[in-house]
Amino acid sequence: MRESELREKIEQHSRFPLRGKLNVITDTTQFMGIRSDDVLELGGSFYLVKGEEVEGRFGLDGEPKFWVKRAIDLSDGSVKIIKLVFHESFVMQLGIQQIKCFRSPRKESRILEKTRGDPFFMQGFTVPDSVGNIVRVIDRIYGVRYYDYILDLALDHETYFHQHFPVLLRNLLLCFRAIQRLHKMEELHGDIRNDHIIIDRESGIYRWIDFDYTYEWSENPFGVDLFGLGNILLLTLGKGFHNLPDIAACGPSGMETISCLTPSDFSLIFRNRIINLQKLFPYIPDGLNQVMLHFSHGAEVFYEKTEELLGDLEACEAEMACGRDVEDP
Amino acid sequence: MKTKVLIATDLSENSLKAVDYVAEVICCHDSAHITLLHVIREPSPDIMGDAKDRERYVENTRADTLRAMEEIGGHLAAKGIPEDRIRLKIQVCQRPVGIAELILHEQETGGYGTIVVGRRGISKREAFLFGSVSATVVREARRCAVWVVP
Repeated sequence: MRESELREKIEQHSRFPLRGKLNVITDTTQFMGIRSDDVLELGGSFYLVKGEEVEGRFGLDGEPKFWVKRAIDLSDGSVKIIKLVFHESFVMQLGIQQIKCFRSPRKESRILEKTRGDPFFMQGFTVPDSVGNIVRVIDRIYGVRYYDYILDLALDHETYFHQHFPVLLRNLLLCFRAIQRLHKMEELHGDIRNDHIIIDRESGIYRWIDFDYTYEWSENPFGVDLFGLGNILLLTLGKGFHNLPDIAACGPSGMETISCLTPSDFSLIFRNRIINLQKLFPYIPDGLNQVMLHFSHGAEVFYEKTEELLGDLEACEAEMACGRDVEDP
Repeated sequence: MKTKVLIATDLSENSLKAVDYVAEVICCHDSAHITLLHVIREPSPDIMGDAKDRERYVENTRADTLRAMEEIGGHLAAKGIPEDRIRLKIQVCQRPVGIAELILHEQETGGYGTIVVGRRGISKREAFLFGSVSATVVREARRCAVWVVP
């Protein structure tokens, strides 16, 4: 494409004409030097860079991710997330457990391929740049992060539990089922977090994002993913996390609650996080609470496969649905 | 009848305890054949991208492992088990499967009557996140005895 055509496309899709020199980049290795208004030429397509994505973890503004560019596809004006190659290894702190993690563009590229057309996963494709870097071009998902959605629901827990939780659980089951499909393909998500699910504004589907983490494992490759699913479930059931210091800060009623807790009621991974939510919210059914206790310090048996967790959750969902049927006049 | 014992070792101190224990129990048993099995897991291409690096890693690990296993074999022989009844086996695993699955496969195809594993002594938290070889072997083993040496 000639420069004049590119400038025309830029004006058409970004609403502003490009001022100054047009910088077309084909080698993305030095991603720190790629800035807004640069154009990436990848596989014969052109993308206008509009900025970097930020980590934005748990409602906070975070550091810019310089290897993840927000861009406009100049062929149709659609917004893309362009993930450039950045290899790093780091130690992830999971409560009191440290896990050596690696960022793998290769893994994310493979999963994008394997989950193509599955609406429960972010969609995109891989294109090599001029020097063979594995660049991933991802469709932007418009919607709210699951974590923010749950925490922004302004209502008391009991109302939330009866009115919202059944629908959330139903949607979560579909979303967890997608992780099971991934595991069946011998792939792990690697970074299952409450803010790595986006509720798609258009379809309402809970969609998984960001698959580029991997880690060293010894016997069960899916344990860390399962822990992540448990954590999402805990957030959903409790409408937020309930930690010992927060309850202690509630005065006499909080201290009374604490007096009923035993060490086995807490998370196996996060020392102060309460898993046995039935002690805080007695209307939580036994079956659901039992599922959660698999993630507690008192657990004797753990889930090792996603289908085990799903099987129990589906039974809980059916039980809750029956309960609702009986209550309904 | 031949008694075939499969000792799965990760070469840790605990798995050596398992070897010692087997030697003491089996040394007076005339028909016992022992196989020492160690699994080398090839690093994932997602973690070690270069195929030559992975190959080099496996070769170096194999050489070190073989030396260590020969030492353990010598230890068994010193306890009175004839050398011709001791077999060393190193298996390289490229697929993302658990080691317990490979041990159980070896037991089944090799017709072993007993599997011996040591316990690594991992915490409950680690067992949850990363899995436990000994716990999986105990749970999944069929048609054989399993000795877990703590």
